Amino acid sequence: MISSIRTMLTCHWAARRIQRYLDADAAAPLTAAEVERLEGHLAICEKCAEVYADHRMLRRRLRLWSQTDLPDPAMVARVRLAAHQAMSEDGA
Amino acid sequence: MTARRGKKANASAGSPRVTSSVVDATATRNDAFVRYVEPEIAVMLRVAQTLTGSWADSEDLVQDTMIRAYRAIDRFDGAHPRAWLLTILRRVHLSSHRRQRPDLLTEPSTLDQHRPAFGARSAPSAEEAVTDLVPDEALQRAVQSLDVRFRTVLLLVDVDQLTYAEAAEVLGIPTGTVMSRLSRARQRVRAHLHDADVSRRTR
Repeated sequence: MISSIRTMLTCHWAARRIQRYLDADAAAPLTAAEVERLEGHLAICEKCAEVYADHRMLRRRLRLWSQTDLPDPAMVARVRLAAHQAMSEDGA
Repeated sequence: MTARRGKKANASAGSPRVTSSVVDATATRNDAFVRYVEPEIAVMLRVAQTLTGSWADSEDLVQDTMIRAYRAIDRFDGAHPRAWLLTILRRVHLSSHRRQRPDLLTEPSTLDQHRPAFGARSAPSAEEAVTDLVPDEALQRAVQSLDVRFRTVLLLVDVDQLTYAEAAEVLGIPTGTVMSRLSRARQRVRAHLHDADVSRRTR
């Protein structure tokens, strides 16, 4: 009973950290102790492991969008050219 | 252009020291621009496309941003060029009164471009998640169903791959707000995909 309550509390704790763990963003890093506790929990809790796997796949698939929908290289070149024109006009 | 050059040549004959410092300043400015701004063009175009919903508007927005950046580069300290540029981009975007298109990502051409990413998927891993079983169109619908505030944060971070701080710069909101919106956006997308998966299986 006590152990199941403890697991539930850890699930709640883990749910608030899974995305930050995946993002590893400099603005909100997890501490080494948090990482250890989270990884330990994901190894034994099926429900949280599923949430983790879902978020990981979601990230991967959204990242693919950025690779399939790139700005046209001609557009990048046009923007660069326009910037150089602006530079030469301002600098003249 | 020729007339301007001629004028500069005359000025240099009159006061060579002043003119050479102007030329130096321009060269420094151009160097800084090439070093800090040019490498970020593609990222700025992506972000601008997320904000405006179209590549054509994105191009206009980034061009205006580049011109502003060029004029302001003397005051830029060289730290975090992307964040600096994204702040300028946000201001240009706001001042241009461009409106965010609610039909983001629904153009048929966009759907066509995204489909191969799903089709080209390699063999599913052993730990395949529910979100990986639903088609890419379902993922697009899930993203599309989000309120624009949540959707924009999700696109900036997960698709355009900005950091929390960079997304905060683009949107002019605190990093904590980016994190909470992002978290909620992802949870909603996940729930949406679960619902889609359940209805697909019971159909």
